[in-house]
Amino acid sequence: MLSRMVSTELLHTAPEPAGIVVENVGRSFGNVHAVRDASFVADPGTVTGLIGPNGSGKTTLMLMLGSLLQPDAGSIRIAGHDPVTETAAVRSRLGWMPDVLGSWSTISVRDTLIYTARMYAMDKTTAAGRAAELIALVDLGELADSPTRVLSRGQKQRLSLARALVHDPSVLLLDEPASGLDPVARAHLRTLVRRLASEGKTLLVSSHVLSELDEMADGAVYLSKGVTASAEALARSRATARPWRIRSSDAVALRAALVAEGIEEAAIATDRTELIVALEGEAAASALLARLVGAGVAISTFAPAVGDLEHAFIDLSTEDNK
Amino acid sequence: MKAFFSGVGVILSLELRQRVRTTSWYILLAVFVGLIFMVTVLLSFALSGFGSDDNGAGGIFSTIIYFVLLLGTLVAPALSGNAINGDRDAGTLATTQVTLITTGQLIMGKFLSAWVTALAFLAAAIPFLVYSALVGQLRASTILVSIVILALELGVVAAVGVGLSGLLSRPLFSIVVTYLVVAALSVGTLIAFGLGGLALQTTATRTSSYALEYDSAGAPTACSAPESYEYQTPRFDLFWGALASNPYVILADAVPTTYDTNGQPTDLFGYFKLGTRMAQTAPDLEGGYNECVVGEREQYPDSPSAREVIDSTTPSWAVGLAVHLALAGGLLAGAWSRTKTPAAQLSRGSRIA
Repeated sequence: MLSRMVSTELLHTAPEPAGIVVENVGRSFGNVHAVRDASFVADPGTVTGLIGPNGSGKTTLMLMLGSLLQPDAGSIRIAGHDPVTETAAVRSRLGWMPDVLGSWSTISVRDTLIYTARMYAMDKTTAAGRAAELIALVDLGELADSPTRVLSRGQKQRLSLARALVHDPSVLLLDEPASGLDPVARAHLRTLVRRLASEGKTLLVSSHVLSELDEMADGAVYLSKGVTASAEALARSRATARPWRIRSSDAVALRAALVAEGIEEAAIATDRTELIVALEGEAAASALLARLVGAGVAISTFAPAVGDLEHAFIDLSTEDNK
Repeated sequence: MKAFFSGVGVILSLELRQRVRTTSWYILLAVFVGLIFMVTVLLSFALSGFGSDDNGAGGIFSTIIYFVLLLGTLVAPALSGNAINGDRDAGTLATTQVTLITTGQLIMGKFLSAWVTALAFLAAAIPFLVYSALVGQLRASTILVSIVILALELGVVAAVGVGLSGLLSRPLFSIVVTYLVVAALSVGTLIAFGLGGLALQTTATRTSSYALEYDSAGAPTACSAPESYEYQTPRFDLFWGALASNPYVILADAVPTTYDTNGQPTDLFGYFKLGTRMAQTAPDLEGGYNECVVGEREQYPDSPSAREVIDSTTPSWAVGLAVHLALAGGLLAGAWSRTKTPAAQLSRGSRIA
């Protein structure tokens, strides 16, 4: 049974009026309860990942945060304002990049950004200047005057990000921003996301690519069946045994050393040239590594087999199904 | 207020650029002009056969205006019937809604864009209207009123299309329903008027007596005893509102009528107007004009002239136009409440982003 709450990283920070504050938010469609009880805080200057299995209510939550859908219960504060009662105040501070890649297909990239800027009540000159800046920022210079229908998926993704940034919002909601991007563009995205956070913006990023999120997120909100995971559940998941990947030039010696450390032969899995063992917590891993090195085993890789978020994701998903 | 219209202007400009810069739109416009050209030429030949010089051109003019109304109401639903749900399908509605553009600005901008696009078709038809007006020596007021009513009717269809595209979630469905609304107004009102009037027959009583003998001056000297008989009469007067809601009737009724010396209309629109106005009068349910009075020559009451009928009845174009504007306004308001964000309710299976 999961109760409400937050990722531990954010638990002890005092909630500021800015950022995103979500308390006990629920939303149902008829008798489908898309979001039952979501609560979390995302602070300015941080990147928060929103993770959860398909159908867990991520998109519904994003729509409520994006001022497009009213919650049935609970309260939302975006940069200190309520999206339902102070919609315009929220919208002027909020950038939203949807997971659906819609664009005005006959309008050029530059004009798309100019029109978006003008929808935020900028005058024509300011809008044109802002469009030029953003085209450079997301690296669409060569396509600036082509209609958006010729863009590839990844290019549309970058246009969508630029559109979300048009009015220099202080809170950004990015729904699957990395999907369709090539590795170079992903690296750019990561740098950009970190830079926006360092400028004091609040970012909430939903993604299925957990390794991706691991690299850019400061914390994560885990959503399952419309409920955000509790701090206890996350702490518990952190403490559970997780697989570590160990590689040595001498696999036989490594296996012997591991058995000597008291790990059962049957518990050691082989993945190509690497051995995988389950260890409980970071401390146990450090201790094992020190002893292996002390025993003279040549270790070339010693790392968690899955990322932090992926571990939590899998662990909490299986916990739900029990 | 200024801020509101500047937002509407952004949406209008964006919509027009997306519509008007497509080849298909220009092809449609060319086909439209071609059709009107053909109709004008053919009608000029056909009606010149009637000989009378101004009636011919008046007829051409009336017919061309009707043809522009017909084609305009056929084109407008296609231009407006997917304005909102089409954007939702393309994924561009929500990205507009998260900006500072309000739902009112969005709907107003889309409506104006659909209207302006439809007005381009009217503008393309104006040379033909002017040609037939010049040949027919019609008054400026006739041409002006026709064009204004055409423009308003195209606006009504544009508003119905945009309204339904906000109320219904599937673009194809809302376009079809818009066509059905146009059909209901153009043909359905005539059917409702005809069938309704015939179905609701009322019993009328007529009492009459007739002369048995006449004197040399032609006045009766002896009359029969009054006889009463009953008959059924259709009640078209109860359904004239349906007739008044027909766009073709509105157009004919709104145009100022010119009369000849007998008080009869001089053009096609005038006769349509007379017919519409006569439908407003309830049939005389108890009365007989052929009363026989001893010593008095039988007097047939004068039936009122067309001019008298028209001047004494309600201007049905105003009633019809009010119905149309209420329908258009109601559908736009409905679309506004369904498209408003943050959304409180979503229709089954619809996705807002």
